[in-house]
Amino acid sequence: MTSIIAQRPATNGVTAAQNVLQRQPSFSSFPASRSPSSLSMRNNKPTRSPQPATVPESAGSPHSSPNHSRGSSLSAARAANRRESNRKIRSQYPSNSSENHVEYILVASFDIDRGSVMEHQYPAPISGDEHMLAELMLPDQAHVRSQDWTIFFLHKDTSAEEEAKEERRERRRRRRRKKDGQNGDDADAEPESHDDEEGDPEEEDETDDDFDEEEETDDDEGVEGPPLIYVLNLVNTKQDNNAKRGAVVKAMAICTRHSFLHIYKPLLLLALEEYFRVPVPETLASLYNAVNSMDLSLMPRLSPLEGFILQASDAKDMFIEKFDQMIQQRMTEDAERNSLPSSTSSNISPVRQTPQRYTLPRDTHEFESRVLYNGIPIPIKVPTAICPETVGDFSLIKLIQTFSTPHSTSPQPFALHPHLTTSGAYTHPIIVLVNALLTQKRIVFLGHNRPSGEVAEAVLAACALASGGLLRGFTRHAFPYTDLTKIEDLLKVPGFIAGVTNPAFAHKPEWWDLLCDLPTGRMKISHRIEAAPVTEGLLYFQQQQQGGLSLNGSSTGTGASLGAQMAGAVTGGGDSKNAHADSTGDSQFMESLLQSIANRHGEAAIRSKWRFWVQKFTRIAAAFEECVYGASALYIGAHETDAGAYGVQGHGFVWGDESARMRELAANVHRVEGWRSTRSYYSFVQDLARRWTKRPSAAIYLAFSRAVEEAGSGTTSTNLADSEADISTGGMGTMGLDTSLELSPPRPPGEQLQYDTILQLLAVVPESNSGLFYISLGLFHPRADVRVSVVRLLERLVEHPAGRHFWASLGRFAKLAFFRVKREEGGMGK
Amino acid sequence: MGGSISKMMNKIFGSKEMRLLMLGLDAAGKTTILYKLKLDQDVTTIPTVGFNVETITYKNTKFNVWDVGGQDKIRPLWRHYFSGTQGLIFVVDSSDRDRMKEAKTELARIIQDREMKDALLLVFANKQDIIDAMEGSEVAQRLDLDNTAKDHAWKVQPSCATSGEGIFEGLAWLSHNVKVPVAK
Repeated sequence: MTSIIAQRPATNGVTAAQNVLQRQPSFSSFPASRSPSSLSMRNNKPTRSPQPATVPESAGSPHSSPNHSRGSSLSAARAANRRESNRKIRSQYPSNSSENHVEYILVASFDIDRGSVMEHQYPAPISGDEHMLAELMLPDQAHVRSQDWTIFFLHKDTSAEEEAKEERRERRRRRRRKKDGQNGDDADAEPESHDDEEGDPEEEDETDDDFDEEEETDDDEGVEGPPLIYVLNLVNTKQDNNAKRGAVVKAMAICTRHSFLHIYKPLLLLALEEYFRVPVPETLASLYNAVNSMDLSLMPRLSPLEGFILQASDAKDMFIEKFDQMIQQRMTEDAERNSLPSSTSSNISPVRQTPQRYTLPRDTHEFESRVLYNGIPIPIKVPTAICPETVGDFSLIKLIQTFSTPHSTSPQPFALHPHLTTSGAYTHPIIVLVNALLTQKRIVFLGHNRPSGEVAEAVLAACALASGGLLRGFTRHAFPYTDLTKIEDLLKVPGFIAGVTNPAFAHKPEWWDLLCDLPTGRMKISHRIEAAPVTEGLLYFQQQQQGGLSLNGSSTGTGASLGAQMAGAVTGGGDSKNAHADSTGDSQFMESLLQSIANRHGEAAIRSKWRFWVQKFTRIAAAFEECVYGASALYIGAHETDAGAYGVQGHGFVWGDESARMRELAANVHRVEGWRSTRSYYSFVQDLARRWTKRPSAAIYLAFSRAVEEAGSGTTSTNLADSEADISTGGMGTMGLDTSLELSPPRPPGEQLQYDTILQLLAVVPESNSGLFYISLGLFHPRADVRVSVVRLLERLVEHPAGRHFWASLGRFAKLAFFRVKREEGGMGK
Repeated sequence: MGGSISKMMNKIFGSKEMRLLMLGLDAAGKTTILYKLKLDQDVTTIPTVGFNVETITYKNTKFNVWDVGGQDKIRPLWRHYFSGTQGLIFVVDSSDRDRMKEAKTELARIIQDREMKDALLLVFANKQDIIDAMEGSEVAQRLDLDNTAKDHAWKVQPSCATSGEGIFEGLAWLSHNVKVPVAK
């Protein structure tokens, strides 16, 4: 274990490469059949009525992180620095990171006599089934097209490294606890820590770094085990009369931990071409060295909230301040380095010492860098913010259109399954797909006579669709491209998303639950699909129906509406627009989505809309759990909020009236119940719990009214609750504002906290959903104090680095109102 | 999928549909036969990575012909294509006596699979254009068809994929002998 740790802090490319040579984990294209992570997930399943984990008192004030100390003045200074708003920004990919951009380069070819074989691997052989890898690299029907891209994922077979990591974490935790205990260390812990420090001096630095990292990026890993290795593969078939049987089929693959693997496409094209000419390992080595020399160190790290806002925004200079600050930091560092005598910096390359010119990105959504390969500078654009479960460059729009067009021109009925056909036999295919993903069905995308890259894109898009950047566990069980050779292993995976080009899959309904045929744009539910189990929640709602919960007459009762919904869907088909037929609201949602696509709102807007759909689904699930089971693991801190701990009482999604609530819940019974036993559900519960325990985000859990309260010191929170109620009952329920306005505990919020609070607010009012428009309606509120509060809030937003972009896109009418209210207030005040 | 209308037409005009699986050792000429059937052209083929599948209509019968790569490493995959197959076309390179034993073993393995019990067996004794090629009877004998395929209706058809000689005769035999037209 220690040997692994000792290897990790490699600093430059050479040592890193050597390390990789030594470190040889085993890979497979399938997760271990009995995944330890999923097992632990189940074990850790929280109780039904989760209490927020008690935050240790020491972690009370925002950044007092005592574990930093260790008597080091540096860490103290850093801790102090963090408190200031212009704290040092970290790079997403620091130049001194031990992680390589690319871990392996592979080349495989199709041998006339032996089939698919691996030719070369660099810098070391990937252990695991080499032959299996070679087969994935040479997709079915590669011989019929000159070029094809595929994507597949590798899972680490061995748990050894994982254990080592866990051990390391545990040690860190222990140390932290000890620090929290303020030197109240018990006798047996002492020698151990001593051991750590002495035996592994390098680890100290790393621990400090890791700790910071852990606070910010723990979301990425943890629950699900080690990150996946993403493989981008290019296969070329070249007619060659000199070769036996007239053709050479070769494939080259890049294995990376970056989910934005598509950036390597141009490089792979050049390198494979080069390999056809010079088929030696050195060709792999030159590519390996080129991609790993890519400098992304000026790319600032964004918090998850910032990332989401950036993605949802079209503003090309969103968060440009951070890029600027990165450059400033670099320039200061450069200056320091140049002023110092070379004694301390002997290993710094001379390039660094010449003053460099840094430029701000033209579009902050992408970070531009260059890779010098074979003397050719290749421009590379790396996405600044990536949602979890977003791998490669796919298009949700393309996926949606593929399956929407045949449905709208000639709808075909689905075989009914309660989890999937939530709006009857004519449920929109995309809704069927997302239901299948949420309820962890076996999904196959089939693209016969299509390039395998196309099915891979569809699989990746489907993962992002169901994730919405909120839920996880889809990509880990996705097989963007797979073939018959892996079928046995595939069928062992409970619930998968696989892409295939072999039409043999269509003839095997026992292999899948939902088959999505890309060429025809049709989906098919297998007749062999497992029936939905009868659950507590289902029985509850059935009893409600039988008992005739028809408070408002049978016409609005859930039973009747459900019946009407089914009947409407079956008879009416696509044109069932009345409210009863669409009690899930999905038809309406799909219509608006397709409208957006038709109006060319763009990929970002569509992804943002899906995010809201997924978010709404999770909130309905929470309301459902509370309704049926009395409490929900999806609402942490519900007790405190209900008790009014944060100034506002109540929590959760709000419906216009009780019957609307019951109708919507009843319409969702099946899929919510189907979701409640899935990986994505468990990891979501864990994510929520972890986010709650992490101090800063626990406090900012949508502090809408709090932000106003802080803005206008004279106003009280009840007024704000009023104003908000006015807004949300004014037909804007779709905004997704719920009243879980869990606010920061009553203590003066730090600047960082205020910053995050505003981010949280901005995250629920994306520009694709009118931005600040609904908030600006508060400027016309009949009560003067509300109007003033809204002005205060907007003033805050104007000053905010992200908020100013939202303000800029606000209509002139609202802006005029803002200045008028401000003037009036000034007049009254004086 | 998507062909429901043509299926209906088939029912009206009494045409049949038949799923065929074409297997054989590598370089036996499977893909050449497939494209000779499909395009009636002599195409130069390259090794098949995975499979080819084409639909061919001949004399009122629609054949779905699956041509699966023959390298020994991928032969274990063949069985995934068995279910629903009504006819097996086994292609033999008649000029390659050295590999007849290997071919016999593979054929026995396929034809004796439970899922293939109702399948017709058509053996193309291919590459008849090569001098010294084995005749049909010798191929039948070397494959020991009397024994291995005793539970199946079988025929050895001498063929030459590049000229097309014998290919359509083979299909006609299959079309003539297929018992139940498939409804699905």
